[in-house]
Amino acid sequence: MFGQLIVSGLAVGACYALLAIAMVIIYKSSEVLNFAQGEMAMVSTFVAFMLLDAYHVPFPWAAALTFLFAILLGIFFEIVFLRQAKDPTVIGLIIITLGFEMVLMGFAGWKWGPDQRSFPFPISNIEAYNFYGLIISKINFWTILITLVLMFILFLFFRYTKLGIAMRATQQNQLAARVMGIRTKWILSFTWAISSIVGAVAGMLIAALGILDPPMMMDPLLKGFASAVLGGMTSLPGTAVGGAMLGIIENLFGGYVSLAFKSAVAFIIIILMLCIKPSGLLAKHYVKKV
Amino acid sequence: MIQRTFVPICSFVLIILSITLPVSAQQVRGVTDTEILVGQWGPQTGPAAPWGAVARGTDLFFKIINEEGGIHGRKFKYYLRDDSYQPAKTKAIAKEFVEQIGVFAVVAGVGVATGMTARDYLMENKMPWYGPVTGVYNWIQPFQKYLFALYPLFDDEAYNLTGYLYEKLGYKKIGLFYQNDDYGKQGTIGVERYLKDKEIDLVAKVSAEVTDRDLGTHALKLKKSGAQAVIMLTMPTHAALILSETAKIGFKPQWATSNTLSDSALMMQITKGLWVGMINSFFSELPDSNHPLMVKYREAHKKLAPQERWGLFYYAGIGFAEPFVEGVRRAGRNLTPDSWVKAMETLKDWQGIGVPVTYGPMERQGGKHVFYGKVRPDGSCERLTDWIKITK
Repeated sequence: MFGQLIVSGLAVGACYALLAIAMVIIYKSSEVLNFAQGEMAMVSTFVAFMLLDAYHVPFPWAAALTFLFAILLGIFFEIVFLRQAKDPTVIGLIIITLGFEMVLMGFAGWKWGPDQRSFPFPISNIEAYNFYGLIISKINFWTILITLVLMFILFLFFRYTKLGIAMRATQQNQLAARVMGIRTKWILSFTWAISSIVGAVAGMLIAALGILDPPMMMDPLLKGFASAVLGGMTSLPGTAVGGAMLGIIENLFGGYVSLAFKSAVAFIIIILMLCIKPSGLLAKHYVKKV
Repeated sequence: MIQRTFVPICSFVLIILSITLPVSAQQVRGVTDTEILVGQWGPQTGPAAPWGAVARGTDLFFKIINEEGGIHGRKFKYYLRDDSYQPAKTKAIAKEFVEQIGVFAVVAGVGVATGMTARDYLMENKMPWYGPVTGVYNWIQPFQKYLFALYPLFDDEAYNLTGYLYEKLGYKKIGLFYQNDDYGKQGTIGVERYLKDKEIDLVAKVSAEVTDRDLGTHALKLKKSGAQAVIMLTMPTHAALILSETAKIGFKPQWATSNTLSDSALMMQITKGLWVGMINSFFSELPDSNHPLMVKYREAHKKLAPQERWGLFYYAGIGFAEPFVEGVRRAGRNLTPDSWVKAMETLKDWQGIGVPVTYGPMERQGGKHVFYGKVRPDGSCERLTDWIKITK
């Protein structure tokens, strides 16, 4: 049972990690906690569902079109809502994300209805691989693998591409980046687009693991937030580690201590981390001098 | 001089009389010569929105009645309000029904916590409330004159379902998977009550929070228990998730569940076929039933609400309104809350498309029966039993 708990914890943790990374990408660039992240991912997943179910688009094409939609959604939100705010404070921007979350939730309910649906994913969520007695379902295996690959791609992107370096520069100091000729407004929009794509991948995996319906991202988003706090709100590798740890801790707690309080573990972790190491496990702790 | 003082005094007396006269002597709230105003809340948005179909089914029923000319020359005017399954909103809607719109009665209404915020307020205002859409004791204890429950009690239903698995089907190791709320807890009482009567133990008692989306650990615990049959008392999302998780680890017990998950078409779709073989209790006719009323309602559905899916939650909205309308019919042209209550108390084994209902002067739990069915590979249900009385 121990091995099974670790494996299924890793699969769920991988989804938490993806959502957390999507949040951290935004947070690092603008200090905004994007509460619409879950619903942006949900709407993108519904678009994928619509393409697959109603238009019978082959999965690779449906995924590609969904990512395109996610890019446009991220850019649309940044340009139409956030950029229009006059002298915005961080709190003001966070409130705007909350408002957008409600708009998207209402839109999904109106467009696709409240019924639950099964997401047509090409990998079975019932069949399993058996590694020397340790059963890992195909969907769990591929969720972990896809997450690792995506993280690696993000690492390469931020480390070695010009655009990635420009994004990091903008994140560190917007004014200096602008002086150096970086079009920071464009970079900000692109940050939202990248975050939205990562969220869309998380959304599709979460729907494939469970059910597709408008409220499907509520719980994962909160867990993603807890993962980010655990690993460090400014550290992408920390966030990934935080997600995996949270998934495993939750499962072990549920398996050996109490199922009733399994969900509460994430929030206890948030409180503990904020008390003991507010910057998170892998992020550097900065102290601003006044 | 007399004339100058007489007119203001008469006016004053008339005003005082019009304020202090009992309501029934003026006009019954929500009843006019041509209309009866009825309200219902239901989650049209949010996590419980699939159950919101109940309120829309009721809308179809009132349209059918109105097309047939109404009751005693009056047509129904129906107000549907979305409470998003949030108790604070439900309370506000109840106030709107009483103080602003002035409806005659509330019909159905999904949710325990939501309904409980409105119950006492509605009763204080002597507003008839028929058929809250949950089977909990809160509607019948303490006794409320104007509140009539229809939904079979979760406790009794779970008690009987456990007995069906144990005695009829011969499963001796029974597990339970339930959601940690009023619905799951009251069902748990019934399961445990039965097993206590038989002096046997529940081999697994696994709960999930309503917001949980990862049920891998829950599935492992159920498998470890070695249960031959597992009763699930959850909402559709959790049912689909637990079936998927248990299938992943190769755990295939006989599953059984209550009528809250009896929308087989929906369940087959979201479980990708894992719903096959489920033993389900039902409190209304099956979707493809040849019952004359079901045939009639299906036809009306095609004509009046073709955009809606003919699912169990949807037409349950009809079943929850039928006895209410029968009460209105029996009350006659002189419709008041009290005449409606008296009429309802005359219903004895009265049945539309739902469970047979019986009320009396001190009896407010109308639905006391269910029947069992088993889901076939094509998603339809094989009826296993006739109506079984579950509440003594």
